[in-house]
Amino acid sequence: MVDDEGPELAHDPPPAPPLARMAIALLALIGVLVAVYLSLYKLGVIGGITCQVGSCEQVQASPWAVLLGIPVAVWGVGAYLAILAIALLGLQPAYVHSRRVALALFGLSAVGVAFSAYLTYIEAYVIEMWCQWCVTSAVIITVIFLLSIPGLRRAR
Amino acid sequence: MPRPAPKPRRSSLTPFYVILGLVLLAGLAVLVTQLRPKGGAGANVPATAVTLTPEQLQRVKGMSRGREDAPITIYEFADYACPHCAQYAALIEPVIVERMVNTGRARYVFYEFPLQFRWSWLAARAGRCANEQGKFWEFHPMIFARQSDWAFDSDPLSKWGPLAQQVGLDQGKFEECVRSDRYQKEVTESSQLGNSLGVGGTPTLFVNGRKIETPNSYAQFEEEVRRIAPGAFGDAAAPAAPGAAAPADAAPAPAAGTTAP
Repeated sequence: MVDDEGPELAHDPPPAPPLARMAIALLALIGVLVAVYLSLYKLGVIGGITCQVGSCEQVQASPWAVLLGIPVAVWGVGAYLAILAIALLGLQPAYVHSRRVALALFGLSAVGVAFSAYLTYIEAYVIEMWCQWCVTSAVIITVIFLLSIPGLRRAR
Repeated sequence: MPRPAPKPRRSSLTPFYVILGLVLLAGLAVLVTQLRPKGGAGANVPATAVTLTPEQLQRVKGMSRGREDAPITIYEFADYACPHCAQYAALIEPVIVERMVNTGRARYVFYEFPLQFRWSWLAARAGRCANEQGKFWEFHPMIFARQSDWAFDSDPLSKWGPLAQQVGLDQGKFEECVRSDRYQKEVTESSQLGNSLGVGGTPTLFVNGRKIETPNSYAQFEEEVRRIAPGAFGDAAAPAAPGAAAPADAAPAPAAGTTAP
Protein backbone atom coordinates (compact mmCIF):
# COMPACT_ATOMS: atom_id res chain seq x y z
CA MET A 1 0.00 0.00 0.00
CA VAL A 2 1.35 3.34 -0.94
CA ASP A 3 1.34 6.13 1.51
CA ASP A 4 -0.56 9.20 0.38
CA GLU A 5 2.47 11.41 0.62
CA GLY A 6 4.99 8.81 -0.55
CA PRO A 7 4.82 9.13 -4.31
CA GLU A 8 4.73 12.87 -4.25
CA LEU A 9 8.01 13.08 -2.45
CA ALA A 10 9.58 11.82 -5.63
CA HIS A 11 8.25 14.82 -7.57
CA ASP A 12 8.90 18.52 -7.41
CA PRO A 13 6.09 19.91 -5.28
CA PRO A 14 3.93 22.36 -7.16
CA PRO A 15 4.97 25.91 -6.42
CA ALA A 16 3.10 27.44 -3.52
CA PRO A 17 0.57 29.99 -4.71
CA PRO A 18 1.92 33.41 -3.82
CA LEU A 19 -0.08 35.13 -1.13
CA ALA A 20 0.36 38.48 -2.85
CA ARG A 21 -1.41 37.17 -5.92
CA MET A 22 -4.25 35.82 -3.79
CA ALA A 23 -4.57 39.23 -2.21
CA ILE A 24 -4.61 40.82 -5.66
CA ALA A 25 -7.43 38.52 -6.76
CA LEU A 26 -9.42 39.26 -3.61
CA LEU A 27 -8.91 43.02 -3.94
CA ALA A 28 -9.77 42.88 -7.64
CA LEU A 29 -13.03 41.12 -6.77
CA ILE A 30 -13.86 43.86 -4.27
CA GLY A 31 -12.93 46.38 -6.94
CA VAL A 32 -15.32 44.69 -9.37
CA LEU A 33 -18.13 44.95 -6.83
CA VAL A 34 -17.44 48.62 -6.13
CA ALA A 35 -17.26 49.41 -9.83
CA VAL A 36 -20.44 47.46 -10.55
CA TYR A 37 -22.22 49.42 -7.83
CA LEU A 38 -21.10 52.74 -9.30
CA SER A 39 -21.96 51.55 -12.81
CA LEU A 40 -25.48 50.53 -11.77
CA TYR A 41 -25.94 53.99 -10.31
CA LYS A 42 -24.47 55.76 -13.29
CA LEU A 43 -26.57 53.72 -15.72
CA GLY A 44 -29.71 54.52 -13.73
CA VAL A 45 -30.42 50.98 -12.58
CA ILE A 46 -30.33 52.01 -8.93
CA GLY A 47 -31.82 55.28 -7.90
CA GLY A 48 -29.58 56.43 -5.09
CA ILE A 49 -26.03 55.99 -4.03
CA THR A 50 -24.99 55.32 -0.47
CA CYS A 51 -22.41 57.92 0.35
CA GLN A 52 -21.68 58.52 4.02
CA VAL A 53 -18.60 60.52 3.17
CA GLY A 54 -18.39 63.04 0.38
CA SER A 55 -20.72 63.83 -2.49
CA CYS A 56 -20.81 60.77 -4.69
CA GLU A 57 -23.76 61.92 -6.77
CA GLN A 58 -22.11 65.19 -7.71
CA VAL A 59 -18.86 63.48 -8.58
CA GLN A 60 -20.71 60.90 -10.64
CA ALA A 61 -22.62 63.65 -12.41
CA SER A 62 -19.46 65.48 -13.37
CA PRO A 63 -18.04 65.38 -16.90
CA TRP A 64 -15.06 63.40 -15.60
CA ALA A 65 -17.27 60.43 -14.74
CA VAL A 66 -17.44 59.49 -18.41
CA LEU A 67 -14.52 58.50 -20.62
CA LEU A 68 -14.92 58.08 -24.39
CA GLY A 69 -18.67 57.93 -23.98
CA ILE A 70 -18.55 55.14 -21.42
CA PRO A 71 -18.92 55.72 -17.68
CA VAL A 72 -15.60 55.53 -15.89
CA ALA A 73 -17.16 53.02 -13.50
CA VAL A 74 -17.84 50.66 -16.40
CA TRP A 75 -14.19 50.94 -17.46
CA GLY A 76 -13.40 50.07 -13.86
CA VAL A 77 -15.51 46.92 -14.03
CA GLY A 78 -13.60 45.83 -17.11
CA ALA A 79 -10.19 46.62 -15.64
CA TYR A 80 -10.86 44.88 -12.33
CA LEU A 81 -12.32 41.83 -14.09
CA ALA A 82 -9.18 41.62 -16.22
CA ILE A 83 -6.95 41.89 -13.15
CA LEU A 84 -9.06 39.28 -11.34
CA ALA A 85 -8.87 36.86 -14.26
CA ILE A 86 -5.10 37.29 -14.66
CA ALA A 87 -4.51 36.96 -10.93
CA LEU A 88 -6.53 33.73 -10.82
CA LEU A 89 -4.60 32.42 -13.80
CA GLY A 90 -1.38 33.40 -12.07
CA LEU A 91 -2.30 31.25 -9.10
CA GLN A 92 -2.24 28.09 -11.19
CA PRO A 93 1.02 26.14 -10.76
CA ALA A 94 1.93 26.50 -14.42
CA TYR A 95 1.69 30.28 -14.26
CA VAL A 96 2.94 31.10 -10.79
CA HIS A 97 6.30 32.15 -12.19
CA SER A 98 5.03 33.38 -15.54
CA ARG A 99 6.65 36.62 -16.52
CA ARG A 100 3.72 37.53 -18.74
CA VAL A 101 1.26 37.19 -15.90
CA ALA A 102 3.45 39.28 -13.61
CA LEU A 103 3.93 41.94 -16.27
CA ALA A 104 0.22 42.03 -17.10
CA LEU A 105 -0.73 42.52 -13.46
CA PHE A 106 1.93 45.17 -13.00
CA GLY A 107 1.05 46.99 -16.23
CA LEU A 108 -2.71 46.97 -15.76
CA SER A 109 -2.51 48.09 -12.16
CA ALA A 110 0.04 50.79 -13.06
CA VAL A 111 -2.38 52.23 -15.62
CA GLY A 112 -5.13 51.97 -13.01
CA VAL A 113 -3.05 53.84 -10.44
CA ALA A 114 -2.21 56.58 -12.91
CA PHE A 115 -5.84 57.03 -13.91
CA SER A 116 -7.00 56.92 -10.29
CA ALA A 117 -4.42 59.56 -9.42
CA TYR A 118 -5.82 61.78 -12.18
CA LEU A 119 -9.39 61.27 -10.92
CA THR A 120 -8.34 61.94 -7.35
CA TYR A 121 -6.70 65.17 -8.49
CA ILE A 122 -9.97 66.14 -10.23
CA GLU A 123 -11.92 65.41 -7.07
CA ALA A 124 -9.53 67.39 -4.89
CA TYR A 125 -8.87 70.44 -7.05
CA VAL A 126 -11.53 70.73 -9.75
CA ILE A 127 -14.79 69.37 -8.39
CA GLU A 128 -13.64 69.96 -4.81
CA MET A 129 -15.74 67.03 -3.66
CA TRP A 130 -15.08 63.46 -2.81
CA CYS A 131 -16.76 60.24 -3.70
CA GLN A 132 -16.04 57.61 -1.07
CA TRP A 133 -16.35 54.78 -3.60
CA CYS A 134 -13.90 56.43 -5.98
CA VAL A 135 -11.43 56.84 -3.14
CA THR A 136 -12.00 53.22 -2.14
CA SER A 137 -11.24 52.15 -5.69
CA ALA A 138 -8.13 54.31 -5.78
CA VAL A 139 -6.87 52.66 -2.60
CA ILE A 140 -7.65 49.18 -3.94
CA ILE A 141 -5.82 49.69 -7.23
CA THR A 142 -2.83 51.23 -5.43
CA VAL A 143 -2.53 48.23 -3.11
CA ILE A 144 -2.90 45.88 -6.09
CA PHE A 145 -0.10 47.75 -7.84
CA LEU A 146 2.18 47.45 -4.80
CA LEU A 147 1.36 43.75 -4.47
CA SER A 148 2.17 43.17 -8.12
CA ILE A 149 5.79 44.30 -7.70
CA PRO A 150 7.12 41.19 -5.90
CA GLY A 151 5.70 39.06 -8.73
CA LEU A 152 8.00 40.83 -11.18
CA ARG A 153 11.06 39.77 -9.24
CA ARG A 154 9.91 36.16 -9.03
CA ALA A 155 8.95 35.96 -12.69
CA ARG A 156 11.14 34.20 -15.23
CA MET B 1 11.54 0.99 -11.85
CA PRO B 2 8.85 3.37 -12.97
CA ARG B 3 7.59 5.80 -10.46
CA PRO B 4 3.95 5.38 -9.49
CA ALA B 5 1.72 8.07 -10.86
CA PRO B 6 1.11 10.77 -8.28
CA LYS B 7 -2.33 10.79 -6.76
CA PRO B 8 -4.25 13.96 -7.29
CA ARG B 9 -3.97 16.03 -4.19
CA ARG B 10 -6.41 18.57 -2.90
CA SER B 11 -5.66 22.01 -4.24
CA SER B 12 -4.16 24.28 -1.62
CA LEU B 13 -6.18 27.03 -3.24
CA THR B 14 -9.49 25.62 -2.06
CA PRO B 15 -9.76 27.75 1.10
CA PHE B 16 -8.88 30.79 -0.98
CA TYR B 17 -11.61 30.03 -3.51
CA VAL B 18 -14.06 29.60 -0.65
CA ILE B 19 -13.13 33.05 0.71
CA LEU B 20 -13.41 34.52 -2.77
CA GLY B 21 -16.84 32.96 -3.19
CA LEU B 22 -18.00 34.27 0.16
CA VAL B 23 -16.84 37.80 -0.70
CA LEU B 24 -18.62 37.56 -4.03
CA LEU B 25 -21.84 36.38 -2.39
CA ALA B 26 -21.68 39.10 0.27
CA GLY B 27 -21.06 41.74 -2.41
CA LEU B 28 -23.92 40.52 -4.55
CA ALA B 29 -26.21 40.50 -1.52
CA VAL B 30 -25.34 44.14 -0.84
CA LEU B 31 -25.95 45.06 -4.47
CA VAL B 32 -29.34 43.34 -4.45
CA THR B 33 -30.39 45.31 -1.36
CA GLN B 34 -29.44 48.48 -3.23
CA LEU B 35 -31.54 47.43 -6.22
CA ARG B 36 -34.67 46.68 -4.25
CA PRO B 37 -35.95 50.18 -3.46
CA LYS B 38 -35.63 51.18 -7.09
CA GLY B 39 -37.30 48.08 -8.47
CA GLY B 40 -40.91 47.07 -8.66
CA ALA B 41 -40.93 46.08 -5.03
CA GLY B 42 -40.20 49.67 -4.14
CA ALA B 43 -43.67 50.67 -5.18
CA ASN B 44 -45.07 48.41 -2.52
CA VAL B 45 -43.06 49.88 0.31
CA PRO B 46 -45.60 51.40 2.63
CA ALA B 47 -45.46 55.12 3.04
CA THR B 48 -43.73 56.22 6.17
CA ALA B 49 -45.66 58.27 8.64
CA VAL B 50 -43.76 61.30 9.82
CA THR B 51 -44.40 64.11 12.20
CA LEU B 52 -45.42 66.87 9.87
CA THR B 53 -47.27 69.24 12.11
CA PRO B 54 -49.25 72.23 10.92
CA GLU B 55 -47.19 74.35 13.30
CA GLN B 56 -43.98 73.39 11.55
CA LEU B 57 -45.48 74.09 8.18
CA GLN B 58 -46.83 77.43 9.29
CA ARG B 59 -43.48 78.47 10.66
CA VAL B 60 -41.47 77.61 7.59
CA LYS B 61 -42.58 78.94 4.26
CA GLY B 62 -42.17 76.86 1.16
CA MET B 63 -42.98 77.78 -2.41
CA SER B 64 -46.48 76.63 -3.17
CA ARG B 65 -48.59 76.13 -6.26
CA GLY B 66 -52.05 74.65 -6.73
CA ARG B 67 -55.36 74.94 -4.96
CA GLU B 68 -55.18 75.70 -1.25
CA ASP B 69 -57.97 73.21 -0.55
CA ALA B 70 -56.72 70.46 -2.82
CA PRO B 71 -57.24 66.99 -1.35
CA ILE B 72 -53.59 66.12 -1.84
CA THR B 73 -50.66 68.12 -0.56
CA ILE B 74 -47.26 67.23 -1.91
CA TYR B 75 -44.12 68.51 -0.22
CA GLU B 76 -40.83 68.23 -1.97
CA PHE B 77 -37.48 68.75 -0.29
CA ALA B 78 -34.80 69.16 -2.90
CA ASP B 79 -31.43 70.61 -3.73
CA TYR B 80 -30.87 72.43 -7.02
CA ALA B 81 -27.39 71.00 -7.22
CA CYS B 82 -28.47 67.38 -6.72
CA PRO B 83 -28.46 65.34 -9.94
CA HIS B 84 -31.37 63.15 -8.87
CA CYS B 85 -33.45 66.21 -8.11
CA ALA B 86 -32.73 67.52 -11.59
CA GLN B 87 -33.79 64.20 -13.06
CA TYR B 88 -36.97 64.22 -11.01
CA ALA B 89 -37.65 67.86 -11.92
CA ALA B 90 -37.26 67.08 -15.61
CA LEU B 91 -39.15 63.82 -15.85
CA ILE B 92 -41.69 63.48 -13.07
CA GLU B 93 -42.53 66.85 -11.54
CA PRO B 94 -43.94 68.32 -14.79
CA VAL B 95 -46.33 65.39 -15.09
CA ILE B 96 -47.41 65.77 -11.47
CA VAL B 97 -48.07 69.43 -12.11
CA GLU B 98 -50.00 68.71 -15.26
CA ARG B 99 -52.11 65.85 -13.94
CA MET B 100 -52.50 66.68 -10.29
CA VAL B 101 -51.77 70.33 -9.61
CA ASN B 102 -53.36 71.84 -12.71
CA THR B 103 -56.39 69.60 -12.30
CA GLY B 104 -56.97 70.80 -8.76
CA ARG B 105 -56.18 67.50 -7.15
CA ALA B 106 -52.98 68.56 -5.48
CA ARG B 107 -51.08 71.44 -4.05
CA TYR B 108 -47.34 71.29 -4.53
CA VAL B 109 -44.99 72.84 -2.02
CA PHE B 110 -41.28 73.10 -2.59
CA TYR B 111 -38.78 73.34 0.25
CA GLU B 112 -35.06 73.78 -0.22
CA PHE B 113 -32.91 71.14 1.34
CA PRO B 114 -29.39 72.15 0.35
CA LEU B 115 -26.89 69.35 0.68
CA GLN B 116 -23.13 69.74 0.57
CA PHE B 117 -22.64 70.35 -3.10
CA ARG B 118 -20.53 73.33 -3.96
CA TRP B 119 -23.38 75.69 -4.83
CA SER B 120 -26.28 74.06 -2.98
CA TRP B 121 -26.94 76.97 -0.64
CA LEU B 122 -26.36 79.70 -3.16
CA ALA B 123 -28.71 78.01 -5.63
CA ALA B 124 -31.37 77.67 -2.95
CA ARG B 125 -31.12 81.39 -2.27
CA ALA B 126 -31.26 82.08 -6.01
CA GLY B 127 -34.60 80.27 -6.11
CA ARG B 128 -35.86 82.53 -3.35
CA CYS B 129 -34.60 85.54 -5.28
CA ALA B 130 -36.64 84.45 -8.30
CA ASN B 131 -39.61 84.05 -5.99
CA GLU B 132 -39.09 87.62 -4.79
CA GLN B 133 -39.98 88.76 -8.30
CA GLY B 134 -42.88 86.31 -8.56
CA LYS B 135 -41.15 83.99 -11.03
CA PHE B 136 -40.19 81.09 -8.84
CA TRP B 137 -42.03 78.38 -10.79
CA GLU B 138 -40.59 79.69 -14.03
CA PHE B 139 -37.03 79.78 -12.74
CA HIS B 140 -37.26 76.50 -10.80
CA PRO B 141 -37.28 74.10 -13.81
CA MET B 142 -34.67 76.18 -15.62
CA ILE B 143 -32.06 76.06 -12.88
CA PHE B 144 -32.54 72.31 -12.63
CA ALA B 145 -32.40 71.84 -16.39
CA ARG B 146 -29.12 73.75 -16.67
CA GLN B 147 -27.58 72.14 -13.61
CA SER B 148 -24.65 70.67 -15.51
CA ASP B 149 -23.80 74.14 -16.86
CA TRP B 150 -23.36 75.78 -13.47
CA ALA B 151 -22.73 73.04 -10.95
CA PHE B 152 -19.02 72.95 -11.73
CA ASP B 153 -18.59 76.56 -12.70
CA SER B 154 -16.54 78.82 -10.50
CA ASP B 155 -19.10 81.59 -11.01
CA PRO B 156 -22.58 80.06 -11.18
CA LEU B 157 -24.27 83.43 -11.02
CA SER B 158 -22.88 84.18 -14.48
CA LYS B 159 -24.99 81.25 -15.70
CA TRP B 160 -28.06 82.00 -13.60
CA GLY B 161 -28.28 85.64 -14.66
CA PRO B 162 -29.17 84.89 -18.30
CA LEU B 163 -31.58 82.18 -17.13
CA ALA B 164 -33.28 84.72 -14.90
CA GLN B 165 -33.61 87.12 -17.78
CA GLN B 166 -34.95 84.35 -19.97
CA VAL B 167 -37.84 83.69 -17.59
CA GLY B 168 -38.64 87.36 -17.31
CA LEU B 169 -36.81 88.35 -14.16
CA ASP B 170 -35.04 91.64 -13.75
CA GLN B 171 -31.54 90.27 -14.07
CA GLY B 172 -29.88 93.11 -12.20
CA LYS B 173 -32.18 92.83 -9.21
CA PHE B 174 -31.91 89.09 -9.27
CA GLU B 175 -28.12 89.13 -9.25
CA GLU B 176 -28.03 91.74 -6.52
CA CYS B 177 -30.34 89.55 -4.46
CA VAL B 178 -28.25 86.42 -4.96
CA ARG B 179 -25.07 88.29 -4.01
CA SER B 180 -26.69 89.38 -0.78
CA ASP B 181 -27.55 86.92 1.93
CA ARG B 182 -31.16 88.04 1.94
CA TYR B 183 -32.77 84.62 2.01
CA GLN B 184 -30.23 82.77 4.08
CA LYS B 185 -32.67 82.65 7.01
CA GLU B 186 -35.50 81.17 4.94
CA VAL B 187 -33.29 78.57 3.35
CA THR B 188 -31.83 77.66 6.73
CA GLU B 189 -35.31 77.24 8.18
CA SER B 190 -36.37 75.13 5.24
CA SER B 191 -33.32 72.95 5.70
CA GLN B 192 -33.98 72.66 9.42
CA LEU B 193 -37.56 71.64 8.73
CA GLY B 194 -36.28 68.91 6.44
CA ASN B 195 -33.87 67.73 9.10
CA SER B 196 -36.60 67.64 11.71
CA LEU B 197 -38.71 65.50 9.37
CA GLY B 198 -35.91 63.04 8.77
CA VAL B 199 -35.12 64.11 5.24
CA GLY B 200 -31.81 62.50 4.39
CA GLY B 201 -31.30 62.45 0.65
CA THR B 202 -32.98 64.46 -2.04
CA PRO B 203 -35.45 64.64 -3.51
CA THR B 204 -37.69 63.58 -0.64
CA LEU B 205 -41.44 63.70 -1.10
CA PHE B 206 -44.27 63.79 1.38
CA VAL B 207 -47.84 63.18 0.34
CA ASN B 208 -50.38 64.35 2.88
CA GLY B 209 -47.76 64.18 5.57
CA ARG B 210 -46.44 60.77 4.61
CA LYS B 211 -42.92 60.32 3.39
CA ILE B 212 -42.80 58.23 0.24
CA GLU B 213 -40.10 56.51 -1.73
CA THR B 214 -38.79 58.74 -4.48
CA PRO B 215 -40.71 57.53 -7.52
CA ASN B 216 -39.04 56.32 -10.69
CA SER B 217 -41.97 57.37 -12.79
CA TYR B 218 -45.15 59.35 -12.62
CA ALA B 219 -47.13 56.09 -12.69
CA GLN B 220 -45.39 54.89 -9.56
CA PHE B 221 -46.00 58.20 -7.87
CA GLU B 222 -49.68 58.19 -8.74
CA GLU B 223 -50.01 54.64 -7.47
CA GLU B 224 -48.57 55.78 -4.14
CA VAL B 225 -50.82 58.83 -4.02
CA ARG B 226 -53.88 56.69 -4.75
CA ARG B 227 -52.92 54.49 -1.83
CA ILE B 228 -52.58 57.45 0.52
CA ALA B 229 -55.52 59.50 -0.74
CA PRO B 230 -57.86 57.09 -2.52
CA GLY B 231 -60.66 59.62 -2.84
CA ALA B 232 -58.58 62.28 -4.54
CA PHE B 233 -59.00 60.80 -7.98
CA GLY B 234 -62.76 60.61 -7.89
CA ASP B 235 -65.05 62.73 -10.00
CA ALA B 236 -65.19 65.26 -7.21
CA ALA B 237 -61.85 66.71 -8.18
CA ALA B 238 -62.84 69.53 -10.46
CA PRO B 239 -60.25 71.12 -12.68
CA ALA B 240 -58.87 74.30 -11.26
CA ALA B 241 -59.75 77.54 -12.89
CA PRO B 242 -56.95 79.20 -14.78
CA GLY B 243 -54.80 81.24 -12.46
CA ALA B 244 -55.98 79.36 -9.42
CA ALA B 245 -52.44 78.56 -8.36
CA ALA B 246 -51.69 79.76 -4.89
CA PRO B 247 -49.16 82.54 -4.68
CA ALA B 248 -45.66 81.35 -4.22
CA ASP B 249 -43.91 81.74 -0.91
CA ALA B 250 -47.08 80.86 0.92
CA ALA B 251 -46.98 78.85 4.07
CA PRO B 252 -49.08 75.80 3.47
CA ALA B 253 -52.35 75.85 5.31
CA PRO B 254 -52.70 73.22 7.98
CA ALA B 255 -55.20 71.34 5.92
CA ALA B 256 -56.68 68.11 7.11
CA GLY B 257 -54.33 65.27 6.35
CA THR B 258 -51.11 67.19 6.68
CA THR B 259 -50.44 65.42 9.93
CA ALA B 260 -49.82 61.77 9.62
CA PRO B 261 -52.10 59.61 11.70
